[in-house]
Amino acid sequence: MSYQLYRNTTLGNTLQESLDELIQYGQITPALAFKVLLQFDKSINNALNQRVKARVTFKAGKLNTYRFCDNVWTLMLNDVEFREVHEFVKVDKVKIVACDGKSGDFN
Amino acid sequence: MDDILSPGFSIPSIGHAPTPLHHSLDADQQIEALPHQVYHPPAPEPTTAAATAQQQQQQTDNGTGVPDGSSGSGLFGHEPSMPLAHKQMQSYQPSASYQQQQQQQSSNTGGSTPQSLMQPQTPQSMMSHMMPMTERSAPGDSSLSNIHQTMGPSTPMTPATPGSADPGIVPQLQNIVSTVNLCCKLDLKRIALHARNAEYNPKRFAAVIMRIREPRTTALIFSSGKMVCTGAKSEDDSRLAARKYARIIQKLGFPAKFLDFKIQNMVGSCDVKFPIRLEGLVLTHCNFSSYEPELFPGLIYRMVRPRIVLLIFVSGKVVLTGAKVRQEIYDAFDKIFPILKKFKKQS
Repeated sequence: MSYQLYRNTTLGNTLQESLDELIQYGQITPALAFKVLLQFDKSINNALNQRVKARVTFKAGKLNTYRFCDNVWTLMLNDVEFREVHEFVKVDKVKIVACDGKSGDFN
Repeated sequence: MDDILSPGFSIPSIGHAPTPLHHSLDADQQIEALPHQVYHPPAPEPTTAAATAQQQQQQTDNGTGVPDGSSGSGLFGHEPSMPLAHKQMQSYQPSASYQQQQQQQSSNTGGSTPQSLMQPQTPQSMMSHMMPMTERSAPGDSSLSNIHQTMGPSTPMTPATPGSADPGIVPQLQNIVSTVNLCCKLDLKRIALHARNAEYNPKRFAAVIMRIREPRTTALIFSSGKMVCTGAKSEDDSRLAARKYARIIQKLGFPAKFLDFKIQNMVGSCDVKFPIRLEGLVLTHCNFSSYEPELFPGLIYRMVRPRIVLLIFVSGKVVLTGAKVRQEIYDAFDKIFPILKKFKKQS
């Protein structure tokens, strides 16, 4: 099973709302909705991996704390600079939760 | 467990070092998502180097090195082993003749000869305000701006070694490995989830790897309750770090104790500042040494007494390892130095 990390994005949320609506009108079963969501998890991981060309780089002044548990890295960064070609953002604190892109990916 | 959690503990052995003030903060920060319990060790005022020297003067007068008035209860109490280590350190002093020679030198050149140049410039000198190094410096030395000089207190000038050809090179400790038993089974997953700077990957290694910044060390924490602490640069730091890890485990709700603390290995290094003919050395000391430049560029010298392994490099750099106490490193170096001088590369 893929990580369900992206269900809480705009795309994921609207998909869930639509599925809820369809269930309410009796047009699909909850089991089917569940299947759709699982496919969404898979597809979005795949799409982000292969189709996204945009690149943002970032650099932290300091790694405040880190953790590695259950194959998930949690990083707390201080003084982070995000950089896209022309844009530039500076943030005091950033929390990064990083999962293995390959593990649990069935396609 | 209760007494360990008592807020009023004091740290007899390191209580007067200026650093513990933010040590305590560090330990506090290590844990998140837990209600902070009262944890305010008596924060000693940061003292100047001169004041520290004075304090040590008093300590040496007392003879024991244990400051009075310590409550003796709590995590940092009951440390009878610490004064012992100090004694050992004090017993190592460069010979008197060398000291005089050094002083003459410095007076000849108008005191401008930086004696520190005679020493390997390792970060250890930056830690001169901490226990082990200052312990060995004379109290009056602070006027000489080189408080990290390794001369012993001027009063009991007992040459520790017969080798009066003491070069003034003192091996600097680079790493100390210690173990301790926390005496309780640990849920490593819980530790990894709640403590900061922890790694736990049971597929790779069956221990939590945790780090703290002060003293900069790494601990391996096993579910049996045993712990290994590595990376400290002095005995006191190693113990302090191990106690901090124990404290972190305690704050996560485990009834951790602090039993059987033991230093398992010490590593020192220094630079004799001249190149060495390893080929000659391996021929004459063949039953102690092995030199296979195709496998490893250094000569491996297994000293029998003290039981220390030395890695000797052509450049004159020497690594000493396998010691359980600091003195073994010093003894081994005093023993190897005359040998190395014999094999100094003539160029």
